[in-house]
Amino acid sequence: MDFWFSYIALASIYVLLGLSTNLLVGIAGIFSVSQAAVFGVGAYIVAFFLMNDILSFLPALGIAAICCVALNILVTLPALRVSGDYFVVTSFGIQLLATAVFTNWTGGTGGANGLPGIPPPDLVGKALESTGQVVTLCLTGMVLGCLIFWLVMRSPFGRLLRAIREDELAVAAAGKSVLRAKVSAAALAGAFAGSAGGLYATFLSFIDPSSFDLDASILLLTMVVVGGARTLAGSIIGPFLLLALPQILTLVDIPTTIAAAARQLIYGVLLITFMLFRPQGLAGEKL
Amino acid sequence: MLALQLLCNGIVTGCALGIVAVSFSLIYATTKIFHVAHAGVYTMGGYVAWSMLRHGFDAPVAFLIAILASTALGALIQGVLYARLEKRRATHLVVLIASLGTLAVIQNILASVYTANILRFDLPWGSQVFRLGGNVRLTMIQILTVVCSLAAYAGVMWFSNGTILGKQIRAVASNPFLAEITRLQPRRVHIYVMAIASALVCVPGILVPLDLGLQPYNGVTPLLTATIAMIAGGVGSITGAFVLAIVIAELQNMSLLFIPGEWSIGVTFFIFVIFMLFRPTGLFAAAR
Repeated sequence: MDFWFSYIALASIYVLLGLSTNLLVGIAGIFSVSQAAVFGVGAYIVAFFLMNDILSFLPALGIAAICCVALNILVTLPALRVSGDYFVVTSFGIQLLATAVFTNWTGGTGGANGLPGIPPPDLVGKALESTGQVVTLCLTGMVLGCLIFWLVMRSPFGRLLRAIREDELAVAAAGKSVLRAKVSAAALAGAFAGSAGGLYATFLSFIDPSSFDLDASILLLTMVVVGGARTLAGSIIGPFLLLALPQILTLVDIPTTIAAAARQLIYGVLLITFMLFRPQGLAGEKL
Repeated sequence: MLALQLLCNGIVTGCALGIVAVSFSLIYATTKIFHVAHAGVYTMGGYVAWSMLRHGFDAPVAFLIAILASTALGALIQGVLYARLEKRRATHLVVLIASLGTLAVIQNILASVYTANILRFDLPWGSQVFRLGGNVRLTMIQILTVVCSLAAYAGVMWFSNGTILGKQIRAVASNPFLAEITRLQPRRVHIYVMAIASALVCVPGILVPLDLGLQPYNGVTPLLTATIAMIAGGVGSITGAFVLAIVIAELQNMSLLFIPGEWSIGVTFFIFVIFMLFRPTGLFAAAR
């Protein structure tokens, strides 16, 4: 039972991350490998506020989301002003820099040992101690995220983003600012990733840099690619499928020393195969 | 004195990085693909050389085999993956994701076969130390790195300006459509470019690990620094990429006087942000 609880909670957190990655990569068409870094920033900020007893859960989550929005705007604006390939370099740079900060800034992040003992989330002054309550919280977060994503995609802003994917030049000619739309999408993606980070930190009560490195970013990208870009269904299917993969791998007899590498290898193979034969993923639209 | 030693170290790493930057620049300028998997090719070269030495081959033979393996891998990635994607008119984003997938595959095959632990070369002649006046020490490997890198750079300059294939590559880079109608066959040229660039990147791919050891995930940071050098030098300029790689490596090494080494990625990235904000076309950009 505990296994199912943690699977569902983790999957709902990763759905939020999938929505974030989908907004950035699928919908806005910005290639990013720094999603895990933003996720990590959210997690560490919430952990900081809760562990030092400064704020309760919801305000901390709010601040984490705002910081991640600011971070994403700061990161995307200068690069996208020039060209998409500059953002590839930027996102690699941010990801490596974030890993360096998470690992080496021992005072704030606990370094490579991570931060243990993050208190459970609390709502209106009551701590959610049982696993069931935390899982419900994560599921609520996921449903809210999906609702926001669905509403945004139906709004004029969502239509503008779709139009940019079809023909950037035509959108610019119609007098809309392509740069502003893309940066706004990135900002929204930051809010999703930051909140997911907060949920992740409080659910596991332990975070360390290995959850937020380049491999984690590749996993997020694989989730969106497998599930399908640009659709709500795709962002939900991908995380649920790929989080089940490590469990399936335990059935196959792989030495534990190479288990992590084998998992990453499968993600890489999935990325290549889907790009070659089914770029739209299982339930997505044209990438 | 420390500063002088760091200055020399900077030239050594800079020369090696310069070749990574030049090879990436060749690919990027010609195929317009942001070839992230190049970091994987770079790493694989070192591992092949290590295995061959382990199997008792002499160093020159082992290095040659490694270079051939890299060349084949580069041509394979272009022929099997990128060419197919191009035929299907895949978007830029799709190619990038496929390239990232290739990087993950190469790195993790290496990690599965050789484990993720650091591997060291066992070459007694390599650690022979030379003293350059006073306390500046350079090992044989470091001197070899500078010599080989400068030779590779000179080779690329000669190849690109003096041979027919080099001129064809520049023609395809500057105008693929015109190249197509003049029967230059851009697809074939792309495979040549990938093969040549992969052979080139194998040179630092072997020489740097000789000094620092091998790790499967170690290719990303050099590639990132090299792409920054390429952009700062101006896309398409071989000299620009090479010179800026040395400048960036120098700044990185000099920053060690003030900032601990684990933050050097921050220094690199800071340089990139400065360029992005104030001179996004790079220093040596050709007039267009």
